[in-house]
Amino acid sequence: MTAPNFLKAGILTIVLVVLSVASWELHLRSSGLRPSYDDGESLWADKRAMVYMPSDKATVFIGSSRNKFDLDIKTWEDLTGEKVVQLAMEGMSPLPVLDDLAADQKFAGKLMIDVTEGLFFSASPRNTSEPKTRIAYFKKRTPAQRFSFLVNHVVESQFVFLDKNFFSMNAMLEELPIPRRGGVFALPWGCPIEFGRVTFDRQNIMTEKFLRDTSLQNKVTGLWNFYRSISTDKPASGATLDSFINVVVKDVKLIQARGGNVIFVRTPSSGPYLMGEKMGFPRTQYWDRILLATGRQGIHFEDYPATAHFQCPEFSHLKQADAIIYTQNLVSILQQEKGWVFPHKPMSRP
Amino acid sequence: MVFNSYTFIVFFIIILILHNLPFSWRAKKINLLVASYIFYAAWNPPFILLLWLSTVVDFFVGRALYQQENINKRKLLLVVSLIGNLGMLCFFKYGTFLLENFTTLVNLAGINYHPAKPNIILPAGISFYTFTTLCYTIDMYKRKSEPVKSMLDFSLFVTFFPHLVAGPIVRPPQLVPQFENPHQASQKQFLNGLFLLCLGLFMKVVLADSLLAPAANMVFNSSAQLRTIDAWMGVLAFSGQIFFDFAGYSTCAIGVASCLGFVLPQNFMYPYAAIGFSDFWRRWHITLSSWLRDYLYIPLGGNRKGSFRTYINLMITMLLGGLWHGANWTFVAWGALHGLYLCVEKFVKDVSTAKVSTLAYANVNEMPGSAILRNKHLSNLALAMMTFFFINVTWVFFRSPDFTSAWRMLNSMFSPIKAGTALLSTLAIIEVCIITFLMVLAHWLMKNTKVLAVAEKLPWWLLGIAWSIMILLIIWSQESSSSFIYFQF
Repeated sequence: MTAPNFLKAGILTIVLVVLSVASWELHLRSSGLRPSYDDGESLWADKRAMVYMPSDKATVFIGSSRNKFDLDIKTWEDLTGEKVVQLAMEGMSPLPVLDDLAADQKFAGKLMIDVTEGLFFSASPRNTSEPKTRIAYFKKRTPAQRFSFLVNHVVESQFVFLDKNFFSMNAMLEELPIPRRGGVFALPWGCPIEFGRVTFDRQNIMTEKFLRDTSLQNKVTGLWNFYRSISTDKPASGATLDSFINVVVKDVKLIQARGGNVIFVRTPSSGPYLMGEKMGFPRTQYWDRILLATGRQGIHFEDYPATAHFQCPEFSHLKQADAIIYTQNLVSILQQEKGWVFPHKPMSRP
Repeated sequence: MVFNSYTFIVFFIIILILHNLPFSWRAKKINLLVASYIFYAAWNPPFILLLWLSTVVDFFVGRALYQQENINKRKLLLVVSLIGNLGMLCFFKYGTFLLENFTTLVNLAGINYHPAKPNIILPAGISFYTFTTLCYTIDMYKRKSEPVKSMLDFSLFVTFFPHLVAGPIVRPPQLVPQFENPHQASQKQFLNGLFLLCLGLFMKVVLADSLLAPAANMVFNSSAQLRTIDAWMGVLAFSGQIFFDFAGYSTCAIGVASCLGFVLPQNFMYPYAAIGFSDFWRRWHITLSSWLRDYLYIPLGGNRKGSFRTYINLMITMLLGGLWHGANWTFVAWGALHGLYLCVEKFVKDVSTAKVSTLAYANVNEMPGSAILRNKHLSNLALAMMTFFFINVTWVFFRSPDFTSAWRMLNSMFSPIKAGTALLSTLAIIEVCIITFLMVLAHWLMKNTKVLAVAEKLPWWLLGIAWSIMILLIIWSQESSSSFIYFQF
């Protein structure tokens, strides 16, 4: 083949690639989807690097998915004039991140810890492996990885198809109707794409379609039930619980000693999920005890009429409209009852 | 910086633009040198100092070695270079390993010695650039070629970013002359380079990372006794992963260099079509095996000192070749197995050569199985499959973190485990089977040709379709920025 023929092949390649990608993107957008960010280690590390902002400029949030759904970041930032540094991770314990922040001498900011008891008091490696991986990634990030993240941010913000969890080759191959092999663990189904789209600030937002479609909601509640049915972990008690509490107390003391400010939050859940949590983790033995041991303040959603009434579509997370109301109330409780001051909030500006 | 990252795309576009602006050749070389340092620093900036040290020491020692007439001084200079290069490699790569083994030995001797574990970070590609600089000083000692005249050319030879971190391991005569005169890619070179870059990324991102790595990692990271099918699928997946990962890197490197107008040596030639183990090493990591042959096996005496010494030399070469890959006894075991294979192969060849000469007058057609033997294609295919089988056994030691895991894996592979754990999904097994079959088939069909030769024979529209499928699959796989396996070596 001569060079001009190779050139023709190259031009054909560009045309085919551009047409295919554009068609795929238009097809996805026509179904109402908008870009979502890959909430992997690089996005998490980007936020982790922001914890060193002055304590009157930002609040750090750790915990699990409830923090990511329930805290409406724009509402928080509009009301307080401060940034949100969202470090919570879906289905994970916040303790490795708490350890990491406590050990970091440079961190002396405000920290809000979401207590989802089933994850917070879990000793299972399943609930701690991902936070450890992300912390290690943050500490070993190379200059090239940081630059790639910046470019990736620009690209990802433009295209729906760059959603690795749903539109990557492996994700789509997993959807093929291939019979499951006996004895191999597999989820019966995954969370539907409509359940949560991720913003660059790491907020998860349920789509309108999810809120309208009860079959999608049932799919997610079914998944929660499946997780509960296969879980062999029992709620921590006795010496295991004591060691959990001791670790938290030690970490909180370290942060407080540096001038940081730690507060615990129990975000809303509802229906059978909440009932199960109450049975497995009685408030006096877990929530109250953690506040007592650490000597820190806490905000339990059931203690305030303004936050106690939410109905979660799948019993565990708030829809965005409710997240806005919840966040407004959270900020109000912090200011009026917990003594938090937000000097940069819009109304206090001259 | 890795080729499969957004950072590299931006970096490469800037380099291409700079290289094609009307600057002087010297300015273009300085651009390439600075770019190469940035390429390396993007991983860990302080380790650039090691590169500089290695470059400066070897440039001046190499020149002195060539010019010095006093044999004792020449030997002293060679020792200085060897200590400098190998000392650095030993400290960074084998420091922890040596200390661990020393500690085990003294503990066995009853001495209670428990030093703190050193926290040594392995600089990316140190094994590659050490071998690159080492061959230069050895060549200068032997006066096999002229010393490089310009420090700029020598620095660029050592640091040229396409080959810096994972090869191909280049020799001075292969690259330095290309820096002496202005080089700019022709349109054909540029397009071939782009095609190879895409092919390399396809091999790495789609085949190695996206389709094979999950199965290989799941199997090799498991501490359970696996079912036979899971163990074999894991080994086959790793067999494909390591090939596509490393050959993908080499293909990218050759493609990137070609876009800039330079030619790097070929590093892979369809190794899974190898007929026998010496053939395998003529096709797998060619620049390393030829380096080991020229700078270790032949200086040890090669096959010039009788059969017994040949076997010993083969074993020493492969044991050190294994250790080059990593500071772990499992790599030594991997090298030992390859050494053993080569020795057995040589023994069989020697014996069969002797037998053939005595049977030269016999009627071959009357021998049992003669029809099959006469069908050269079929017997070669059978031999290639046998070679592939034995190579797969060696990968168990290469991939396993320790001997316990390796034995467990071999046990799962070769003895039916009734209550073994099933790990891989149906989809994963199908993926591994299809890719392995296509990989071996492609190697067999293309074993005597080159990919560009095949691409050039295709009609332009067919090549365009194949090319675009590769790019679309790269985009679709959404696997980016994972390191190449050979970066750690």
